[in-house]
Amino acid sequence: MSEKPFFVGYLPAPGPLRVFLLAACMLVIAGLGTAGYLMGAAQDDPGPGAFRFDYGRQTVTGVVEMTPYPVIHVTEGNDRIKPGDSFMMTAGGKSGVDSRAMPLNGQLAQVSGIVLERGDLYMMQLRGGRNGLRAAEGDAPAIPIEPQGRWQLTGEICDGKCLAGAMRPGRGLAHKACANLCLLGDVPPIFVSSQPVLGSEFLLVTGPDGTRLPRDAYDYVAQFITAEGEITKRGDLLVWEIDVDTIEVTE
Amino acid sequence: MSVKYTPVQWNRNKWIYDAVMLAGVAAFLWVFLYVTPDVLNHERAINPQIHNARAFGACAFMMLTVILCIGPAARLDRRFLPLLYNRRHFGVMTAFVAITHAGYILNWYFNFSSSDKYVGLLYANSSFGQIAGFPFELFGIFALVCLLILAATSHDFWLKFLTPPVWKRLHYLIYAAYFSVAAHISLGILQDQQNHLFTLLFMAGAAAVIVLHVAAWLSERSEAAAKDGAWAEVARVGDFREGFAKIAKLANGERVAVYLMEGQLSAISNACAHQNGPLGEGKIIDCLVTCPWHGFQYDVRSGRSPAPFTEMVPTYRLRIVEDMVEVHPDANPPGTYVDPVPVPAPADPLPEEGTPA
Repeated sequence: MSEKPFFVGYLPAPGPLRVFLLAACMLVIAGLGTAGYLMGAAQDDPGPGAFRFDYGRQTVTGVVEMTPYPVIHVTEGNDRIKPGDSFMMTAGGKSGVDSRAMPLNGQLAQVSGIVLERGDLYMMQLRGGRNGLRAAEGDAPAIPIEPQGRWQLTGEICDGKCLAGAMRPGRGLAHKACANLCLLGDVPPIFVSSQPVLGSEFLLVTGPDGTRLPRDAYDYVAQFITAEGEITKRGDLLVWEIDVDTIEVTE
Repeated sequence: MSVKYTPVQWNRNKWIYDAVMLAGVAAFLWVFLYVTPDVLNHERAINPQIHNARAFGACAFMMLTVILCIGPAARLDRRFLPLLYNRRHFGVMTAFVAITHAGYILNWYFNFSSSDKYVGLLYANSSFGQIAGFPFELFGIFALVCLLILAATSHDFWLKFLTPPVWKRLHYLIYAAYFSVAAHISLGILQDQQNHLFTLLFMAGAAAVIVLHVAAWLSERSEAAAKDGAWAEVARVGDFREGFAKIAKLANGERVAVYLMEGQLSAISNACAHQNGPLGEGKIIDCLVTCPWHGFQYDVRSGRSPAPFTEMVPTYRLRIVEDMVEVHPDANPPGTYVDPVPVPAPADPLPEEGTPA
């Protein structure tokens, strides 16, 4: 048995051991502090998405379209949102505005809320009830619908709201459960393409023939995938009708 | 040793221990929460709730890593034993840090939905058939439950109530918790990292735990006593030092501490009645074997703590055969007195040439 100093918890530490223990204590404190720095400083950039409270409340008029996710095609804009813009709509929290938008499908409506913005991805979080969405006077113009053919795209399915800036970061596998909850709550899903498609990185993603994103696709949310589907330009918004059978996880 | 329960038997060393560990945790969290945001220089900051969740989660992982490194480090070098002394308090701190992490996650990612956040936590992601995208939150839940069980049963009341062997086995849950945390991190945040520094730090921490445990196991295996028949060899008489022990490992896996005190050998179980601490790594203080973990003391001849304390450990019979000390593997009931075996006086050395005999 060695003759190293013997420590008994309820007795003073032996003299020769004190220097070692002092060094160990300093190492624990400095080591944890250093680990905190390195781990904290290694976090990735969450991207530029954000609630644009600095823009103030935005109120515009346009044509409501269920794609089947609710979209507004602006006919009367303001200083920031121009006629011809198309953007998705959502409610507060992890909820969509389907129940409010469905009765107004194809009609002119006034929408009001806060904008979420990430690059060329726009979304509006509407105010509650009729303050956020209500029918407007006038005839609804026809919305241009331009089929763009079948495309194979590579990228990630996200929930549009978190991606647009409700959460930073609002994408990736660590965020998958949150994204699924948003999609289950009728928040519009977005496909983030690895390459711009017809000038846009973001596409509203739906099921075939105007159906909602199939539940089978939820397993692939937040994963890097390749899939095929028809792209249609509705107003100035690209809608990709994903063919779930063609989804492949990409390394 | 104790004759009654008090909530926490504080002493100066415990205060110092807790202060150091708290300072370490505070340093980690303060640097992560308040220093690194300026360093990151992102166009738009990470959400405070997510930043906080990451800080507490990373801190809990580091704390668990330190906790699991202390044990094997103390087996390899006894100078680390004081870090083991109040490790339970550090474990309770870890549970609090981990539950704070869980709180931020639950109240951010799983809140604001029409469904209950606890329900959402369990059903939002059901991709069980794949590795990428697997609901890694479940591993975190399991680890948190383990940590809460360990924290709740860390008090000496549970040690006494469950008995040390059961309590000790229960607290091996710390390993299940650590593996679960490793899976939680590997299938979660590591899947998204572009900056791989965190990955490297995570791997370094896990590697430290593994390497230290393997090193301690190899060290103990090399020291295991050879077995021969019913009586197990311990060491040669000349290898014993006054006031210290040699540890023999029996065929049934039990360890025996054989002490030399006042020229006589006695054997007791190596497992302290308090927390199964290694009595053979202690020493004789005031004629009593003193456990290196928490200072519990025993009469080496009877395995009994001095009055008024009541702890007892099993004793063993010894014999000396041709200079080899041997222990019989059948343990006596705890507290059984056994006559110590006198060590034969060494033979007189031969007179050196040219000196008077």
